[in-house]
Amino acid sequence: MAWNEPGGGKDKDPWGGGDQGPPDLDEAFRKLKQKLGGSGGRGDLPAFSGNIAGIVVAVIIALWAFGGFYTVDEAERAVVLRFGRYLETVDQGLHWNPPMVDEVIKENITRVRSSAHRTLMLTQDDNIVDVSLSVQYRVADPKAFLLEVRDPETSLGHATESALRHVVGSTELHQILTEGRAQVASDVRTRLQRYLDLYHTGIAVDKVNIEDAQPPDDVQAAFDDVIRAKEDEERVKNEAESYKNGIIPEARGMAQRQNEEANAYKEQVIARAQGEAARFQSLLTQYERAPQVTRQRLYLDSMEAVLASSSKVLVDAKGGNNMMYLPLDKMMTQSSSPVPLNEQTLRQLNERNERALPAARDQRQGVQP
Amino acid sequence: MNRGLLSMAVLLVVAMLVSSCLFVVKETERAVVLKFGEVVRPDVEPGIHWKIPFVHTVRRFDGRILTMDARAERYLTLEKKALMVDAYAKWRIIEVRKFYTATQGEEARAQALLGQRINDGLRNEIGRRDMHEVVSGERDQLMEALTRELNNVAKSELGVEVVDIRVKRIDLPAEVSPKVYERMKSEREREAREHRSRGQELAEGIRASADRERTIIQSEAYRDAERLRGEGDAVASEVYADAYNRNPEFYAFWRSLNAYENSFRSKSDVLVISPDSDFFKYMDSQSGKR
Repeated sequence: MAWNEPGGGKDKDPWGGGDQGPPDLDEAFRKLKQKLGGSGGRGDLPAFSGNIAGIVVAVIIALWAFGGFYTVDEAERAVVLRFGRYLETVDQGLHWNPPMVDEVIKENITRVRSSAHRTLMLTQDDNIVDVSLSVQYRVADPKAFLLEVRDPETSLGHATESALRHVVGSTELHQILTEGRAQVASDVRTRLQRYLDLYHTGIAVDKVNIEDAQPPDDVQAAFDDVIRAKEDEERVKNEAESYKNGIIPEARGMAQRQNEEANAYKEQVIARAQGEAARFQSLLTQYERAPQVTRQRLYLDSMEAVLASSSKVLVDAKGGNNMMYLPLDKMMTQSSSPVPLNEQTLRQLNERNERALPAARDQRQGVQP
Repeated sequence: MNRGLLSMAVLLVVAMLVSSCLFVVKETERAVVLKFGEVVRPDVEPGIHWKIPFVHTVRRFDGRILTMDARAERYLTLEKKALMVDAYAKWRIIEVRKFYTATQGEEARAQALLGQRINDGLRNEIGRRDMHEVVSGERDQLMEALTRELNNVAKSELGVEVVDIRVKRIDLPAEVSPKVYERMKSEREREAREHRSRGQELAEGIRASADRERTIIQSEAYRDAERLRGEGDAVASEVYADAYNRNPEFYAFWRSLNAYENSFRSKSDVLVISPDSDFFKYMDSQSGKR
C-alpha cells in the first residue's frame, strides 16, 4: 500500500523491475553478463563502476526512505523518538519518519486489558478473607506508558495489591462478604488510579471488579453453618406461625359453635316458655269460665291416666290395725312380665331416666358447698 | 583504485568515524560521560551527542521509575504481635553523578541499599503502632512518613528519589493463621447458635401467644354463650312468671296434675292407694258422701 501512494514515487519501489515478470529477470542477467564480457576495454570500467556505485547508493537511499513509512491504526498512537529523544505522539493515519534517526513505538490505547488477582488478606476486624478481583484498564497516555516507567504492568500489579489490601484492611469482614463489595471495588479503583498517576504509568483504570470474596476454606464450613442457622431460624419461626395459624382459626370456629349453640338454647327456652305459657293461658281462660267443672275434669283425667297406666293396689285400710302382707316384688315381676318390651316402653324408660338424672345431679350440687 | 570505489570507501570510513564520535541517549535513559574514569559531563540530556572516541566513555542508566520489591519480612507491632509485611518502593535516579559515584552505576546495589533503609524505616514505624493501626487506619500516614524520611537520605546519598513506598501485603505469620481461623470459626459458631436460639425464642413466643389467644377466644366464647343462655333463661322465666302469675293456684294444680301423669305411666310403678282420696269419692257411695 505504502509504495503505491502517489507521494511514494516509483523509484522507491524495490521491486520496480518486477513489472516485466520473472523471465525478464534472467534476460536482464544475461544482458549484464554480455555487457561485462563484451566490453573488453578497461577504459569503460570507471564510468561503469561509477554508475554501479550511483545505483547502489540510490537503491540504499530508496530503501532507507521507504522504510520510514508506517501506518498508525485507529486504535493506536505512536510515540516518535528522534535520536532517542521524545519528539511527538502521532495519531492514526500514514506517516513518514526517517528510519534510524527516528524510532517509532506503537501502542494500542483502546484495547481494554485485564489483570486478575486473588489472595488472602486481613480485614479491619482481624479476620482473614479470600478476595479475587480483576482490573480492567487501558493505556491512556502512551508516552508515559512507554517511557516513564519500567514494566508498567508489574507496577499495576503491585499497586493493585497494595490498594486492595489497604481498602480491605479498612473494611469489616461482614461488609466485604455482603453489601460492601461494590464500595470496596470503587474505593480500590480510586486508590489504584491515584497510585498509577503517581508512578506516571499512563494507565487508566476503567473498572475494578470484586469477582469473589469469601472466607478462607478452613472456616468456610462455619460460615455455611451460619447460613444454615439463619434458615433454621426462619424454619422454626415458620413452624410456630403455622401452629398459630392452625389453632387460632380452629378456636374461633369452636367459639362460633358455642355462640350458635347458646343462641339456639336461648331461642329454644324462650320459644318453649312462650309455648307453654300460651298453652297455660289458653287453659286458664277456659278454666276461669267454668272453674269447678274444669278443675274436676282435669283432675279426673289426670288420675285416670295415672292409674290406668300404672300398677296399683287399692287398700282399704280404714279398719287399719291388722297387718297386711303385700307381696310387692312378686307383683312387680308379674306386672312387668306381660309388658312387652317394645320400642315405646324403652323410650318411656329412657325419658324417665333422663328426667331422673338432672334431678339427681341437682341434688348433688345442692349438697356441695 | 578508481575514483568511484575510492569515494565509496572514503565515505564508509568517514561514516564509521562519525558514528564512533556520536552517541544517543534515549528518552528512557540517563547517562554520564567519563573521561578516563572521571565524570566530565554529569547529566546528559536525551538525544544525540558528540564524544571523543577512546577518550570518552558513556555510562547509561535507566531513567524511568523503577520498582524495588522487598522480600516479605517479619515485623513486630507495638503490642509485640508479629506481622509479615511485604513492601515495594518506586524510585528513580535524579542525580546521575551522585548515583554513579555512590553505586558504581549498579542498580542492584542501589536496590539493596534502598531495601535496607526501607526495612529499617518500616521496622521503626510499625514498632510505634499497634496492629490495628498498621493493618487499616494509618497505612497512608505510615507510608508518607516513611517516604519523606527515606527521601532525605536517598537524595543526598544515592542521588535517587523515592517516589512512593507501599505495603503490598500485611499478613499474619503462618503459625498464627490457624488461631485466627479458630477464632473466626468460634465467632461464626456463636452467631449460628444465636440464630438458632433466637429462632426458638421467637417460635416459643409465637406458640405461647397463639395458645393465649386460643384460651381467650375459648373463654370469651364460653362467657358469651353463658350470657346468652342466661338471657334465654331470664326471658323464659319472665314469660312463665307472667303467665303463671295470673292464677298461681290453678298453675299449681295444673302443674301437679301434669307431674303426676308424667311420674306414673309405667306398669312397674306400683301405687298403694287408699280409697279415701277424691278420686274414689264415688267408689264407696254413689252420692259421693261417706
